[in-house]
Amino acid sequence: MWSFVKLVFLFVLATVFHWAFASVFSYWGLSVNILLAFAAAFCAVLKPAFGYPAAFFCGLFLDFFGTKVFGNNAFTFTVCACIVYNLSERFDFDAFFPQIVTVFGLTFLAGVLNSLLFLWFTAAALWPGFWSLLGGSLVSAAFAPAVFWLVRRVLGKGSICRQL
Amino acid sequence: MSLRKKTPHKQTTPGARRRFLLPLTFLLLSFLLMILPLEGFVSSVKAVLAYVFIPQVRLAHGTAKYAENVHQTVRELLDAHRENRELKQEIEMTKLLASQAEAILDENGRLTEILRLKPARRWTGVWAKVAYREPTQWNTVIIDKGSRDGIRERSAVISMQEGKEGLAGVVVEVTENTSKVLLVRDEDFSAAVYLERGQEEGLLVGNGPRPVRIKYIPLLTHVEKGDKVFTASTSSIFPAGILVGEVSGVREDESFQTALTVNVDPLVSSAAVKEVFVILDNEAKK
Repeated sequence: MWSFVKLVFLFVLATVFHWAFASVFSYWGLSVNILLAFAAAFCAVLKPAFGYPAAFFCGLFLDFFGTKVFGNNAFTFTVCACIVYNLSERFDFDAFFPQIVTVFGLTFLAGVLNSLLFLWFTAAALWPGFWSLLGGSLVSAAFAPAVFWLVRRVLGKGSICRQL
Repeated sequence: MSLRKKTPHKQTTPGARRRFLLPLTFLLLSFLLMILPLEGFVSSVKAVLAYVFIPQVRLAHGTAKYAENVHQTVRELLDAHRENRELKQEIEMTKLLASQAEAILDENGRLTEILRLKPARRWTGVWAKVAYREPTQWNTVIIDKGSRDGIRERSAVISMQEGKEGLAGVVVEVTENTSKVLLVRDEDFSAAVYLERGQEEGLLVGNGPRPVRIKYIPLLTHVEKGDKVFTASTSSIFPAGILVGEVSGVREDESFQTALTVNVDPLVSSAAVKEVFVILDNEAKK
């Protein structure tokens, strides 16, 4: 129960960080997605029964602000969660490098997938631009180790965490 | 006799099955949310989520804003006393002006009655603060007042900028304590407007990051940069006479034109909207 409360606390914290980073970096036209870094960290640490809903809700949080499509971010985040769970059998997410590479790849992939879904459902483009997405992915990746550290630090080895 | 070794069939364990079913469930759920129309079920889901996310959104917005402006907040606090004194004086002046305005209104009412003119209607509303703005969705904001304060869908929203009131947008979703406002620049926004110079009417449409446009202005209309644009009385949502912005240019790139398309620089900038006035009792539209 306590672990679940901590997870909810981290979710709230993730939205605060996401807001702050997205606001600051939007001045430079960068499409930063810190919430996705948190979702990836949740999946790296939590059991699938908690990791998938956490990622889904992170996506749903972003969907809440859309007016044209609802569920595209939830879908993208769930796909990313699948990727993280598959990668966790090959990668050691305790090391910095896999964290950075994974978050970079996922942020870029999420941007592309989101744009495609948006295009499919509304026939309108949501493409933030290649350099914006690339720059945003780099920034998200740069903060990934800190995000992973925070998630591990707060959740520790609670009952909802994976036993590695 | 076959040389091939018989391999036993792999048994699917409950754990493996769950590992497959769990992501599939969430993928299907999100896909379902995407394909369903935004009204009805999805709207109900959003309403439920509003109870969970809105306090969180406020916290996120408030914390980030606070952290961003700490040094500015300290400076503002130091200036607060002086400003308070100045504002008190301004309030006294405003009270004086309000009593003068009341007298002028009375006089205007009497004259209107004598001349048998249709009286100009007044509208009332509520002030609300922008509670959240998602950085990737600059054309939509969430305000901190909802149905409890009398706000309804399609309520007109205005905002003050540079000391003038201007059209900010329209309410598109309402929950008990919050409302979502579609700002003028959004592609889904439209309003009937007229140009101050010749009173020609057209349809104002948002255009995302590109300039806001007025379509269907008669072809031979004389339009100049800087001409003011106001909401028209033919609008089904907005009261007439709200300043929208100024003409920033006439589009001349369209061949075989049957009407003019005019670019408009809105008075209320999407990025600068902080406080808004939601018109509740738009008598002019009753």
